[in-house]
Order: sequence, then C-alpha cells, then structure tokens
Amino acid sequence: MNMAKNLAFKQETFRDDYTYSNSAEAIRRFPFPFAEDEYMYSVNIEQHNGGAPGSVFEHAIDVDEHYVAECADRALVLEDDPLRYIALPHMMDAQWDMVELVMDSLSTDYPEQFKLTKDGDNWHWINKPLGIDQKFVFGDESTLPMQPFEFVGRQVQGDWIILDQRDDDLFADMGIVTSQADWSMAFDAGMSFKEWHGPVPQANELGIFDRALKYLLHLQYGSPVRRLNWTMTVNPRLDTSPENYPLWGPDNVSVTPENVGDKVHLRVELQALFRLPRSNAIAFSVRGYLASVNELATYPRWAKRLRRVLTNLHPDLSEYKGLDFYRQMVIDHLAPMDDGTELELGTHPE
Amino acid sequence: MSVLNVKVAEVEQVTEVVKHFTLVQENGEPLPRFSGGSHVVVSMDINGRIHRNPYSLMGSTANTDSYHISVRKQENSRGGSVYMHEQVKPGSTLQITYPTNLFAISKLGRRHILIAGGIGITPFMSQISDLNRLGYDYELHYAYRSPEHAAFREQLQEMCGDRVHFYVDSEDERLDIPDLLSHQPLGTHVYICGPVPMVKALHLHAKNLGWPDNHVHSEEFTAPPSGDEFTVELALSGMEVTVPGDMSMLEAMEEAGAEPPFLCRGGACGRCELEVVSCDGVIMHNDHYLSDHEKAEGRSIMPCVSRAKCSKLVVNL
Amino acid sequence: MERGYWIRSKPLYDSLVWKQHATGHVVIAEGEGGIAVLKLFQQMCPREPIKLLFADDTSATKKYADIITKLVPEGLQVCESGEAVLAALREQLPDCLMGTQFYVAGSEAFIWAVIEELKVYGVQDRNVEKELSGTLARSVYCVHCKTTDKDVHHSIHQCSGCGRHLFVRDHFSRRLGAYMGVMVDAEEPGNIPAAEEIYP
Repeated sequence: MNMAKNLAFKQETFRDDYTYSNSAEAIRRFPFPFAEDEYMYSVNIEQHNGGAPGSVFEHAIDVDEHYVAECADRALVLEDDPLRYIALPHMMDAQWDMVELVMDSLSTDYPEQFKLTKDGDNWHWINKPLGIDQKFVFGDESTLPMQPFEFVGRQVQGDWIILDQRDDDLFADMGIVTSQADWSMAFDAGMSFKEWHGPVPQANELGIFDRALKYLLHLQYGSPVRRLNWTMTVNPRLDTSPENYPLWGPDNVSVTPENVGDKVHLRVELQALFRLPRSNAIAFSVRGYLASVNELATYPRWAKRLRRVLTNLHPDLSEYKGLDFYRQMVIDHLAPMDDGTELELGTHPE
Repeated sequence: MSVLNVKVAEVEQVTEVVKHFTLVQENGEPLPRFSGGSHVVVSMDINGRIHRNPYSLMGSTANTDSYHISVRKQENSRGGSVYMHEQVKPGSTLQITYPTNLFAISKLGRRHILIAGGIGITPFMSQISDLNRLGYDYELHYAYRSPEHAAFREQLQEMCGDRVHFYVDSEDERLDIPDLLSHQPLGTHVYICGPVPMVKALHLHAKNLGWPDNHVHSEEFTAPPSGDEFTVELALSGMEVTVPGDMSMLEAMEEAGAEPPFLCRGGACGRCELEVVSCDGVIMHNDHYLSDHEKAEGRSIMPCVSRAKCSKLVVNL
Repeated sequence: MERGYWIRSKPLYDSLVWKQHATGHVVIAEGEGGIAVLKLFQQMCPREPIKLLFADDTSATKKYADIITKLVPEGLQVCESGEAVLAALREQLPDCLMGTQFYVAGSEAFIWAVIEELKVYGVQDRNVEKELSGTLARSVYCVHCKTTDKDVHHSIHQCSGCGRHLFVRDHFSRRLGAYMGVMVDAEEPGNIPAAEEIYP
C-alpha cells in the first residue's frame, strides 16, 4: 500500500532517445528469473494469488513507475499501426470480462490512482495517472469511446492476448500487443495454441506444450497462475515486433564492448493467466520488465548469476532468443565482477 | 483450489425426485460470475466422510446473487444425492468449488440444438440465459419420463418461447434424433445431456450423418461405481492407501491426506489423470476422457471414477 | 532472425478421398486441382448427391474442364475462373445441410480462399478435405506493410507493397491464407541473400 501511495510516474521514452531507466527501487523489485547458474526451459507455473508486498507479484496486475510512459508508448504504436489491436467478433463477452478484470484489480490494488464506482451496470471509472474519467454502462459498447477491450487495454502495461476455449484447444482470438518479443498479433490472430505458441527449441520434444495446454484448459476462475520467461533486448525498446523489425533490427549489431552494459537489457516477461468468467476465455498477460546489464550489476549476486547463466546457455536457446551477436560481450563485461564464489539457490538480489 | 462457503437459502421440491437448491455466499457477497453450462463441485460431510458431487449451475448467468442447482435423488447411489435431499435444509452450509465449464456453447456456431433427457436439463438452463442474451439461434428439445417429471417446464416455456419442444415418454412422444439432425443448416452445433443410451445414440447418429466430431457436444458425469477393495501405492510420496469397495480411489487418497488434483469428479475433464506405474490386475476404466486406445494401454487412470481389480496399483503421485 | 523452428502452423494437405458418412458432397477445384478431381472420381462414388464446381486456370496451357465434363455428368458446374467458382460456392452454401462434406483442390491460395467462404457458414477448416495441386507457390503476407502477394516461388521476395526484401518464414496463418514475410536485411541493410526458387 505504501508503495502504491508513493508511486511516482516517470517521463521517459522507449524509442528514439531511449531515456528509459530504472530507479534503485525498481531494480530491487526486478523479477530476476535465474535461481540457478544454469537455465533450462521449463513451464514453471505457480499460483498468481498475491506475492510479497512491494514485489511485482503482489497484485494481479502490477503498476510501477513506468506506467504512464508505457501507456504513452502503446498509444504511439497503435496510432501507427491499429492492427496491433484485434478482437474477432465472437469475443465480445471476453471484452467485458477484461473491463471487469482490469478495473476491479486496479481500483482495489491502487485506490490512490484508480477509482471504480458501480451502480448496477452504471460504472464510473477514474484513472488519475492517465487523466481518464469515464461513465459508461457495463455491457453497452456504445457508451465507451472505443471497443471495451481496447479501452482498458490502453490503460495497462504489458501485452494481453485473450484465448477462446473450444474443441479442447485455445485460440488467440483477441489481443492488444505493442511490446512483443518478435511475434505478430495481426498475423497470429485466430491461431490455435500450438500454431501460435513460439516454437521453442527442445520444448516440443519434451511434450511441454501438450502438458501446458492441458493444464490451461483446466485453469479455474479465481485461481490465476503465472510464470516467468526471459530474453534480451538491445536498447530499452518495448516494441520489438516483427512489424517494426526494420527499425530495431540494426540495433542488434550496434553493441560494442564499450556500450554493452548500458545497451543490452535483460527482458523478463511476467506471464499471468486468468480464466475469465462470462466468456470462459483465458486472459494471457505478458508483462515485460527491462533492466540494463549495468542496472542489474548494481547487485553483485545478479552480475555473477547472469554471467554464469549466459555462459552455460544452450546454443539453440541462444540462437532462438537472438543473443548470438552480443552474448559473449555481455559475459566478458560481467567477468571482472564474478569471483567464482558459489551462489546460493534463489533469485533474490542480495 | 479456491472454494466458496455457501448457505442454502431455499429448497424447492420440483418433482417427486428432484429438489432445487438456492445457494448464497455465507459472507453475503455476490457469487462469482460464470458462463452458461458451468458446474460446481459440492462437498458434503456424510458421517465423517467427504463426498464431492458435481452439479450444473442452472440460474441466469446475469444474476449471481445466488447459485441454483438441482439434484435428482438416486436411490442406488452412494449417498450424495440422498444426503442433499434428506439432510440439506434452508440454512445448511456447504462448500463448493468455483464454477468450471466443460460444456460451453461454441461461439463459432451459427445455430445451436440443445437436447436434454430428464435431469440433464440443468446445464441448459444457464446456457439458455446466455443464448438469449447473445441473441443466438437455438432450439431446445427436452424429453422426460412422464408429466410428473416435467421439471422446470413452465420456466423453460417462459425463457424459450417457441424454441422449446417437449417429449413426454409416457404419452408416446419420442424425439426423433436422426430426423432432427438430418435437416440442420451448415454451422449447427448439437449439445446433449441426459441418460447414457441417449447420449450414445446422438453420437452415433451424428457420425452416420457426417457431422464433424467438434460439432457434437455432450456432458456426462459418472458417479463413481463401487467395486472391490484394492491398495494404491503413491510412488512419489511412498504412501499406501486402501480403497474400500464403496469409495472412489480419489476419495480414498484424499481421506488418507494426499492432495491429488481434481476438477469435475465425474470422469469428464481429465484433470485428475494419474500415470500408472504398475498394476498387478486390471484397471476398470469408467471415464469419458481417455480414448479406447489409451484405456487399453493402461498407462493412465482417472481416479475420480475408475478403479482397479487388483491387489496393488502403483501411481506416480 | 530466422531460427528455423516455425513448423507447427504449416498446414498439411492430403489426397482427396470421399468421406464415408455424409448427407452430400461438394467438390471445389481450380486449375491443376483438376487432376485431384479426376483421381477422386476414379474412386467408388458415394450415394449421396455430389456437386462439383470447377474452373480451369485461364493462363495455363493444361485444361481439364473437357475431360471432367465427360467423366462427371451430374452436378457439375464449370466456371470461368477461380473467382467465379467462389461466387458459385457462395450461392450454394445457404442450401447446404450439416453433413455436407467439402473437398477442395488447387493452389494453396485457392484452397484458403475457399475456406474463407466456408467459414462464414460455420464450416471449420479442420473439417474440410484439402489437396494441394500443381504449384507449391506461396502467398506471402508482408508483416511490415500488410500486403499479401500471391504466387511467390522464391525464398526471398520483394514485397509489391513496400519494396522490402522479405524472408518467407515457414509460419502460416489460416485466417490470412498466407505465410509470414519479414524483412531480410533489417540488421544490415543491403545484405540480401540470393533468392532461390524453392516453391516451384
């Protein structure tokens, strides 16, 4: 609660001059994903029903110091390319489910910033950080300035993909996707779980997707789950979409031993899955957290761990995540900080 | 698994054998929203033994001040429905799971044919509230034994208008499934909930008429059949559990303190699937989840309804 | 950028075979799909009514309409073009009943154009028999400017919309009926690998 009250939103950019950075507090709560010196792909799903106060897991939807800037970046992407938002026609119930999930969560967890008043179906929503004050009738599309899911989708951080459940499968039939790691909502809309899910090396052979799909088909309302995934990005760019690959592709080869610490960012995705009640769809949120190698290295434990994970990384995974060009530079940059002492298990910074 | 503590607000004798229970949350708050076709699992403490039965939610999906379930009294059952009929009164408290939907309307369908036999009408009552709200094209065909067994007939007439058709067995009214299926436009989906022979007949006729599998939906909850006593060894925890003849394997493991996963408890969803390490007899598969091939292989078991005729079954739990 | 793992979305095509259970059959084919039709009608024909909609590829030298007319006397409608086949199909669909089986043969672009029509009537692609005939040419969707180009035969394709050179990923969208094309020289502009004909 204190954390929420003190939320100060930064003015910063995720493109052009890249003024994005993390405060000391934001680094401290960064969801560092490596508990061990070796990384293996796994599904590692856990319950998403609250976490330590102040952590990114505390609330269903995390709001942090980058909230206003991230929403502004999303608006820029959508203005440029409206197809980053897609909702197939049979998803209207899911759109309203999302309105409820977002507004209920934010107003309950961040009462200083967001306020929701309900009088039956007459809802009044106030989003102070973004300066939005909207009265509308829940269930009546015509009372909102745009589609319901787009309306709330523009007011949360991270990408949201809504999966319709039918024929014992999940279909990516709706989404607002402006900060993705190299996949396209416009292209992937309507795909089934296996068509759409990033083909991860080694994972298919292990039957991971079959098990994950089965698990998700049984996901229950009221029992959301989460997992972490990670990759690396050059520059603190949210929109590393295939659509804009011509814009960010050249960055990949701009890394040098001199700039690697500031330019290369660990990008951790907090993926949370919620069953939606009216539509029986599943909301899949992919919230990216970015921290530069130098920001992470303010904690010696993380510097050592990151170096070891990257050193031990399976070449297929390195290639798949697109790290080949600069991985060795990151390892070399961190080498002086790694004295080789054994690190205890766990992701904590100190 | 999240549970809800509810209180029985009202009990209505609908027919001689069907009771309708109105449940409200004990803390006075509205219950969670749900989608048409969902069910909850009700826990009952019967003489110190926990029984858990799935029941479809039948109320309107728009109003979650209360949940509505209906229970048909099964005289030969293991006691769950008898307990609901004889022990559960207004004011009684129960524990239920959050709603789960294994019987959802396919949103890509252009027309929906709902077929109910007897107490199988219950999941359709919440589905119809969704279909009406969404303005989808549908028809309900409801067959029951005799006029005394016409549960919810008036309510259905009110909800469905001329979309509902009744078939009273004792008056020689029969639903002609092949005829019904033979003149449906493209994009039609059919849904059935009722006695096993009726469900099997629908699947057979639909297949013969060339309906794709994924246009035919059924919901069948099986009550766990009784059988012989056997022993289960849980390989991972090293626990050994005796499953008495009148208890399901899942219930026996729960009573012994294990926490196996479950969802529908009727052999429909597959959530409780356990890997079989070894079995020195035969597995009696009673679920609707595993394919015939998988059942023959014997590498998995659904402990909610299936059991074994053996001295020892070892599972990976 | 290409890591070579995009395979799960790629559709599988098979040879057309009559389905055993049906209330009717509708066969839709274009161009080289004529061969698939001839093979299909050499199998024992089902008892249920059959409709066949066919158009020759006007630009191709090989024509099949004549021989098909001789082989299939009933229920055949020969159309002027692939577009006309789609229009004829659109007229048929409102009268089709559940249990109607659909069979499509032709280029990949034609197959998915037919499936788009069927989808409007609630027929899902997994329930449609599909045979890829003749060309392996791909439709390519430019992820940058959203133009779809048909008849792409090469691994590298210059987009007709934005002029970028696209690498054709093995990632297929059934909704768009096309493979994904992503700029090949984004990291090092001008560094364009030689295009090879790999979809003859």
